[in-house]
Amino acid sequence: MFSLKPPRPTFRSYLLPPAQTDDQINFEPKIKKLEPVLLPGEIVVNEVSFVRKCIATDTSQYDLWGKLICSNFRISFITDDPMPLQKFHFRNLLLGEHDVPLTCIEQIVTVNDHKRKQKVLGPNQKLKFNPTELIIYCKDFRIVRFRFDESGPESAKKVCLAIAHYSQPTDLQLLFAFEYVGKKYHNTANGINGLPSGGGGGGSSSAVGGGQGPQTPLFETYSDWDREIKRTGASGWRVCSINEGYMISTCLPEYFVVPSSLADQDLKNFSHSFVGRRMPLWCWSHANGSALVRMALIKDTLQQRKIDQRICNAVTKSHPQRSDVYKSDLDKTLPNIQDIQAAFVKLKQLCINEPFEETEDKWLSSLENTRWLEYIRTFLKHSAELVYVLESRRLSVVLQEEEGRDLSCVIASLVQVMADPYFRTITGFQSLIQKEWVMAGYQFLDRCNHLKRSEKESPLFLLFLDATWQLLEQYPAAFEFSETYLAVLYDSTRISLFGTFLFNSPHQRVKQSTEFAISKNIQLGDEKGLKFPSAWDWSLQFTAKDRTLFHNPMYIGKSTPCVQSHSVKSFKRTKKSYSSTLRGMPVPFKNGIISDQQLLPRRNSLILKIRPKPPQPAKNQNSGMEEYFQEWFSKPVDLHGILLPHLSATHIKLWKLCYFRWVPEAQINLGGFITAFHKLSLLADEVDMLSRTLRQPRASPGGPCSAERDQSRMYFQASGPHPHSTSGTPEFLSSSFPFSPVGNLCKRSILGTPLSKFLSGPKIWLSTETLANED
Amino acid sequence: MGEGASRSAFAVPTGQDRGRGAASRVSSMASAPTSKYNSHSLENESVKRTSRDGVTQDLDEAVPRLPGETRITDKEVIYICPFNGPIKGRVYITNYRLYLRSLETDSTLILDVPLGVISRIEKMGGATSRGENSYGLDITCKDMRNLRFALKQEGHSRRDMFETLMRYAFPLTHSLPIFAFANEEKFNVDGWMVYNPVEEYRRQGLPNHHWRITFINKFYELCDTYPPLLVVPYRASDEDLRRVAAFRSRNRIPVLSWIHPENKTVIMRCSQPLVGMSGKRNKDDEKYLDVIRETNRQISKLTIYDARPSVNAVANKATGGGYESEDAYPNAELFFLDIHNIHVMRESLKKVKDIVYPNVEESHWLSSLESTHWLEHIKLVLTGAIQVADRVSSGKSSVLVHCSDGWDRTAQLTSLAMLMLDSYYRSIEGFEILVQKEWISFGHKFASRIGHGDKNHADADRSPIFLQFIDCVWQMSKQFPTAFEFNERFLMTILDHLYSCRFGTFLYNCESVREKQNVTERTVSLWSLINSNKDNFKNPFYTKEINRVLYPVASMRHLELWVNYYIRWNPRIKQQQPNPVEQRYMELLALRDEYIKRLEELQLANSAKLTEPSSSPASPSQMVPHVQTHF
Repeated sequence: MFSLKPPRPTFRSYLLPPAQTDDQINFEPKIKKLEPVLLPGEIVVNEVSFVRKCIATDTSQYDLWGKLICSNFRISFITDDPMPLQKFHFRNLLLGEHDVPLTCIEQIVTVNDHKRKQKVLGPNQKLKFNPTELIIYCKDFRIVRFRFDESGPESAKKVCLAIAHYSQPTDLQLLFAFEYVGKKYHNTANGINGLPSGGGGGGSSSAVGGGQGPQTPLFETYSDWDREIKRTGASGWRVCSINEGYMISTCLPEYFVVPSSLADQDLKNFSHSFVGRRMPLWCWSHANGSALVRMALIKDTLQQRKIDQRICNAVTKSHPQRSDVYKSDLDKTLPNIQDIQAAFVKLKQLCINEPFEETEDKWLSSLENTRWLEYIRTFLKHSAELVYVLESRRLSVVLQEEEGRDLSCVIASLVQVMADPYFRTITGFQSLIQKEWVMAGYQFLDRCNHLKRSEKESPLFLLFLDATWQLLEQYPAAFEFSETYLAVLYDSTRISLFGTFLFNSPHQRVKQSTEFAISKNIQLGDEKGLKFPSAWDWSLQFTAKDRTLFHNPMYIGKSTPCVQSHSVKSFKRTKKSYSSTLRGMPVPFKNGIISDQQLLPRRNSLILKIRPKPPQPAKNQNSGMEEYFQEWFSKPVDLHGILLPHLSATHIKLWKLCYFRWVPEAQINLGGFITAFHKLSLLADEVDMLSRTLRQPRASPGGPCSAERDQSRMYFQASGPHPHSTSGTPEFLSSSFPFSPVGNLCKRSILGTPLSKFLSGPKIWLSTETLANED
Repeated sequence: MGEGASRSAFAVPTGQDRGRGAASRVSSMASAPTSKYNSHSLENESVKRTSRDGVTQDLDEAVPRLPGETRITDKEVIYICPFNGPIKGRVYITNYRLYLRSLETDSTLILDVPLGVISRIEKMGGATSRGENSYGLDITCKDMRNLRFALKQEGHSRRDMFETLMRYAFPLTHSLPIFAFANEEKFNVDGWMVYNPVEEYRRQGLPNHHWRITFINKFYELCDTYPPLLVVPYRASDEDLRRVAAFRSRNRIPVLSWIHPENKTVIMRCSQPLVGMSGKRNKDDEKYLDVIRETNRQISKLTIYDARPSVNAVANKATGGGYESEDAYPNAELFFLDIHNIHVMRESLKKVKDIVYPNVEESHWLSSLESTHWLEHIKLVLTGAIQVADRVSSGKSSVLVHCSDGWDRTAQLTSLAMLMLDSYYRSIEGFEILVQKEWISFGHKFASRIGHGDKNHADADRSPIFLQFIDCVWQMSKQFPTAFEFNERFLMTILDHLYSCRFGTFLYNCESVREKQNVTERTVSLWSLINSNKDNFKNPFYTKEINRVLYPVASMRHLELWVNYYIRWNPRIKQQQPNPVEQRYMELLALRDEYIKRLEELQLANSAKLTEPSSSPASPSQMVPHVQTHF
């Protein structure tokens, strides 16, 4: 099956541009001794030399030689060999290009092909053979494969065992973030306020724009909540501090927002009746005053009706029109977390574990059978229905779920993305994740399965990102961020360095890190627990240049001028005009007549006018909802107003960038949406520059100075000194961009000719079934 | 029946139109495909006018009419819209189209259907029909929709409408001319001039010392379905060609379609060899293929792609056909590409219609789509074309492509491979030339495959082969959004006029018949319409690139159903038009121009303020390039 002792390849890719060097300044001058560059607190546990990283299954021609290292943070493959056929690399500053964070490892398979044995390696397991090969299946759909033909058999085995052990720790404090942050505290003089980039533990962190952008509110403080109440204009709601010090509930934030009519004492009394003492939490208010609220079930059956009534009354009282409350029982209407996990496992199986060609014939039905897209659609649909209730029926919505910390996170967030343009900006989106996920007690630790395998894993956060992607795909000009941003955000949940996605609740962070600090003799002072780096501090992961890829060149910002019918008008959106678009129905709707469609510049898709149904006795709300949707879709989209998803099965698509980016066979070279994105960026950049020049006409008549060039929010710039500045499609673009599947294992020849891709019959590849014959 | 009257109306078409300014006519028609693109045309004037009964004259004004188009009749009907239920309206039938406008005050529905798209007209309900709207006509269209009209039982209105529609939708059946011959539209560009074979071959660097242009088929004597002008190996004499023709189905000998500008390998096309059950051989054919092989000195073998599944190729021996055996052609390598025949494709598209019209099969969308096999066929066609392109470009081997007759699958493969290899064909005019050359001139049987003007809807010769090709092009344009000069609307317009019979472009089966019918003189070319409104069909993201081979990924992971085409009649499914990404790009372009203008003005004002002539930097016309070069 594999050639045993292939000669060390002398292949050096001459396709590789020599330009890469200045991107690698962080990696010291080229390390000749193959030494890893370690992060603070990172320790090498085991290493093995003369390892071959396999690039293709059918040839060893492109294999790379180097050293495989297991640290307490990642597995790292260090090589001098350049990546074959790689024309571009989007670098994560925390990781080398062949590195896999331990928390990203899904399954470890060791193989000895002389003895024809293989074994899936768990922690604390014995390995009775010396592995000749190690295959790592990653949670982000990558597969990496190493061969040990030339390495010391014992050290190879040790590294495999170390990876198995360290990738599945039993204790939270063994996750790398603790060592890292501990080291940081020790390294600074007095150990307090030592971290330059706070976050995940007080303060706010900066958004993408290299420190100049607005700060992402973390909702750890009273004032963040207060500001959010004011921002949404929610009257009748107040910030409540009864959970300070987590005195009431360990899975609620210290501060949250409740109806003003409920006194602290009432809340304290009621709290006992709720699962997890999770009493109602305000999420958001529509400009018409309708509020979105989430809460756990009332477990106390005797009190149930009474408390429920009290809560509903209070929510009603907080509504300016004293409208009724609309309750949505998410457990009854949505798939449960196990279903979602099962769907995701099937999706992953389909995307990576099966031979490419074999899944081709039944691709569509297999995709349908995963039910992933169906679930995405269900969540989008339910959220859209709640938007209707909030906006059109002007009712406050209460999301009910047993614990109120899983499905509620997805629905609450999606409703807000659809209903409030603020959450479609980068800062807004990040604040939404803080508000509805991190602070609301979404159990990242369990759901991401950062520790030893558990049954609690479920990809709800990915589901949310995927659903957001569907909206972005349908309304590309409505979002400040790009799909790269969403993909990178998903990847960040797999890097065990950020406090953001590490814990089951804010309380867990405080409790665990305080314990850790005590054990490590770190003085915390006034701090509530250790300050972990925040995922929102993107400068930890990407250079300012690479971060510009997060910007969507199509986005029409609030104050960005927009052209309609060839005249430039600058629409500055004040709070007032924003409200007016949300508040109440636009005129045509009120009259029950569709306005002249010829006047609609942006959308005239509904040429067939939808005939209003003859007034039916309102036997259910469905007809109202249908009408609302039809009405909405017949009008041009207000990108700063409500966004509703198209929900036909033909509209819900697979997020290819996220799921196919590591599959070399699925990569479209020099193609994919990115090529249009590239052109858009160039143009948007040119427009930005012109507008800057216009704003300061006095400045050097030659145009903006070079310092301003760096302000560009676009990765691809109209011109200038940057290497990627040609107007043609840059060579390194592909449908996987900015990711590159080249270093990932290709189950078929990577040598570009499509012939080899399609002619040869299916290859036998290690599928999960063949893993059955374990040692 | 008034047959004489209507025929004379046909013969003297412009009776009512003469008074009108021809120019305004032309321009108003020029925008027609644009509105057609939006499912149902929505003409400004017709929407605003509220329809009142009795003011037919007034209404008549609002019915769009091409020069040469004449009104035949109008009827009050109920249009049974599958999406919005019954709508009362008036239908106008001309010799070109069926036009319906709703008579209901709250509805702006317009239907504008060229009669050419009609495939079948059926009466529904009889004298005894009771149910509401159960008596009328059911019209099946070639473009993935059905139209249903309910009529009053009394007064023979259904009979009149049925007969008028039958007559004008199926003129050939009634020995009437197709509308394209009555069309008097004028454009400022003549689309018939787009394709000139000599020029196209010259562009490819032909003739050269290996390849010559032969006029052997000038009068269609060698092969009546080939064009008059052919490119063949220099070393093959016209006498050789005649002998080869005897051994190729319908005399469709191997001729050159495309030559690689650098490695000089070629794509040849032909029909199957007439091997038959007995395994006949033909020395001349064998020698001819060897001559072709020898024009390329880089590789020892000629690659033959037989587009069919091998079983079909074998089965064809029974009817005298077959494929090149290894014994007879030792210097050739043969591969079967497993593309199914026209009947399979027709049935597959029927299934697509079943799952998208009128309602989309929502609950099991993907598996339903899979069960139509449409995308699977697309995949096979694309995969075949990729192999042809790759063999020529990377494999540096000359390629011979054939199927059975060499006018369906062969045309798909050669034209798609050429589109992948030669960036010229990705421009608007280049694509027109490609269609004109590989499809029209080489005898894709448009008349039989589409059934222009023919009532025989069940004709087994009909098949969506050309549609499948356009779908493949669309798939490529999805994967390479910057590689094509044309946009989706361009492809949809081509498809619309594939059926409409407004232009002569797709009429008849081959050049010899077209010449006999004087098509270029008597009809307008579709390319006239397109090329005089090019801006409507341009892809804003187009980046002209030379010598880049496009290899689409022919994987089910990337192939998609072309929703904007196949499901365009469903208002609930239709995606945003125009595409929001394109829209945003256009907005940014306008913004840039506006800024440049403002900057220019500003600098002009500044320079005016500085009275000293020496310090005034430049005239505005010089300022603009200054600004641009800096950015």
